[in-house]
Amino acid sequence: MRLDPGSAASFYPPKFKKLCIMEYFIQQFVNGLTLGGMYALIALGYTMVYGVIQLINFAHGEFFAAGGYVGAITLGYLSGLGYMQTHPVLCLSAAFVFAMAYCAYLAVGVEKIAYKPLRKESRLAALLSALGMSIFLSNGMMLTQGVYDKIYPGEMFQGRFDFGTVAISYLQIMIIVLTALLLVGLNILVFKTKIGMAMRATAQDKTMSALVAIGSNKIISLTFAIGAGLAAAAGIMYGLYYGSVRYDMGFVPGIKAFAAAVLGGIGNITGAMIGGLIIGMVEVFGAGYLSSEYKDVFAFIILIGVLYFKPTGIMGENIDDTRV
Amino acid sequence: MRKRIVSILAMGLILVPFLLVGAVSAKTLKIGSLSPLTGPYASDGTDIKNGVLTAISVFEEQGGIPGYDKIELYAQDTACDPRQAVAAANKLVNLEVAGAIGAYCSSSTIPASDVLDEEEIIMITPASTHQDVTERGLPYMFRMCGRDDAQAPAAARFIKEALGAKTIFIVDDKTTYSQGLADGVKKAAEELGIKVLGHEHVNQGDKDFSAVLTRAKQENPDVFYMSVQGFSPAAMMTLQAKRLGMDSQIVTQDAVFQPRYMEVAKEASQGVFLTYGYTDPTTPEYKAFEERYVPKYGKIAAYATYAYDAAYTLLTAIKAAGSTDPAKIKAEMMKMDYQGVAKRIKFQENGDTGSNYIAFKVVDDKFVPYWDPEKGLLK
Repeated sequence: MRLDPGSAASFYPPKFKKLCIMEYFIQQFVNGLTLGGMYALIALGYTMVYGVIQLINFAHGEFFAAGGYVGAITLGYLSGLGYMQTHPVLCLSAAFVFAMAYCAYLAVGVEKIAYKPLRKESRLAALLSALGMSIFLSNGMMLTQGVYDKIYPGEMFQGRFDFGTVAISYLQIMIIVLTALLLVGLNILVFKTKIGMAMRATAQDKTMSALVAIGSNKIISLTFAIGAGLAAAAGIMYGLYYGSVRYDMGFVPGIKAFAAAVLGGIGNITGAMIGGLIIGMVEVFGAGYLSSEYKDVFAFIILIGVLYFKPTGIMGENIDDTRV
Repeated sequence: MRKRIVSILAMGLILVPFLLVGAVSAKTLKIGSLSPLTGPYASDGTDIKNGVLTAISVFEEQGGIPGYDKIELYAQDTACDPRQAVAAANKLVNLEVAGAIGAYCSSSTIPASDVLDEEEIIMITPASTHQDVTERGLPYMFRMCGRDDAQAPAAARFIKEALGAKTIFIVDDKTTYSQGLADGVKKAAEELGIKVLGHEHVNQGDKDFSAVLTRAKQENPDVFYMSVQGFSPAAMMTLQAKRLGMDSQIVTQDAVFQPRYMEVAKEASQGVFLTYGYTDPTTPEYKAFEERYVPKYGKIAAYATYAYDAAYTLLTAIKAAGSTDPAKIKAEMMKMDYQGVAKRIKFQENGDTGSNYIAFKVVDDKFVPYWDPEKGLLK
């Protein structure tokens, strides 16, 4: 604590001047990148599922929360055994693997139970089924994990680098790097591999792709699995970054990520990434330069503005060949 | 036809439990409690419920209340949501409770008290500190804890006198309580000549405070005053502030007085100051409570002691009045002057019991008394 009268507080007289400094901008930029990266990871699940079966999977936020919980349980177990202190990176990798695998499995199960039987029915039926699944999963987590915040083990990741007045925490670096890796990996999977080609083919025309021996059920399951895996990764990052998880934590980020997917053009992978980053950035810069009270308002104003001029979203096109 | 009769009879069976409840509860004294049992403030709400249950167990051991077989608590969940609080209060009205302990959030207590007061049901809040709770002239509204118009000046004096701060940055999360207190601190700080560098608001339920904290860090105040509803957002804000490298002294308030704050924020919470009503832990009343409460519910946190005192006061008054007539209960309550677990209990005309805010410091995961407005630094 600094208490000398000549300290920085009295150094810059006008209030606005302080916010024009480059360091401040960079700090907020990093904050926005971290938040936007997490939104982007969740948004991908919405957009991929929509691309393949035109369903808005409202239960997707719950996969994110479930991933956070599985990560917390894994890390808690490993730290109880004492491995967390000796091999933190290995433990963290294990948490990611378990959480992503579990959520992929969960999502495939949810699809089989709640969406597949309704695939021939109206879209509204599947949408309501998704809402029901969301409530079911979130209450399931409440009943099994309790109503309290579950504290995230991971004190060892709490350090930071200081560059002048800009402080970048290890967690921010980890989140940004991991998000980037996952996004690159997904792009390679979708655009450079045979499986990706099959996914894009199914998105374009299920009947036609079935005629060339692409099993659409398998591809739909795979899409759910990948989307939920990415959300689970975001769940762990979220838990580590904010220090705790709770059963209802999927709701608000889920809505924001859905907005991000719509903003980017729902059904478009690149769009979801861009949308996520934009929502995160707008929130942080809105709060940092204008008013933290209305940060959600800024994000949604941008959404409305973009949709007004381009109803398909930033990257959205009417032709389906860029879809998943 | 026969099938239909059978099915109607079978449907009738559904009512059996209700009939049984009616028969059994004929001689039960019903007490209500209002507090958040789910959501972010669930820990605090559960403390309140546990405090009330402890008071009931004390009475039952002493032979209960003459004329009643048992005392039953109807614990309602307000979720710190004004609408749900009104619904919960209506439920207590329908249950015809003799009195209610609650609520936790001022924004729940105020609307719920309108409902209860209209039906002439005694309400004692253990935790709502906003001044308006007892300033609306409701005859049956009482308060165990202190008031924010006492807490805010105490906090500002502490910041000025004990910390010697010249600048302050305030953040609140826009609830009746947190914003009211933040405004009070701002006003009191300005009167004491502390420069307010900024007063920002965040939303209830937010988890990411990086933007607003970066802004506070840029202003570089001597004191960062954090006015939030509950320990959970406080812990997240503290963690993120430390991670950003903010070296302003964090000062916060009574809602954060919860051991779980240190569990979540860990090292980041060490050295944080907060204001909370003074409780003497050496009184026999406190020790007796501790012996009874800790083995059953764990650490004594936040408002468990105040909830116990509130329930104990209510039950004592009902016993003394020999009736559940609200006017008679009130008359007995106004006569009281005794040492409770949390503080000395003597009601003022408006239902308040007075404020006694001191500053605590987080040291080694404990809240340690640090500064008293009368005595200065405590050692």
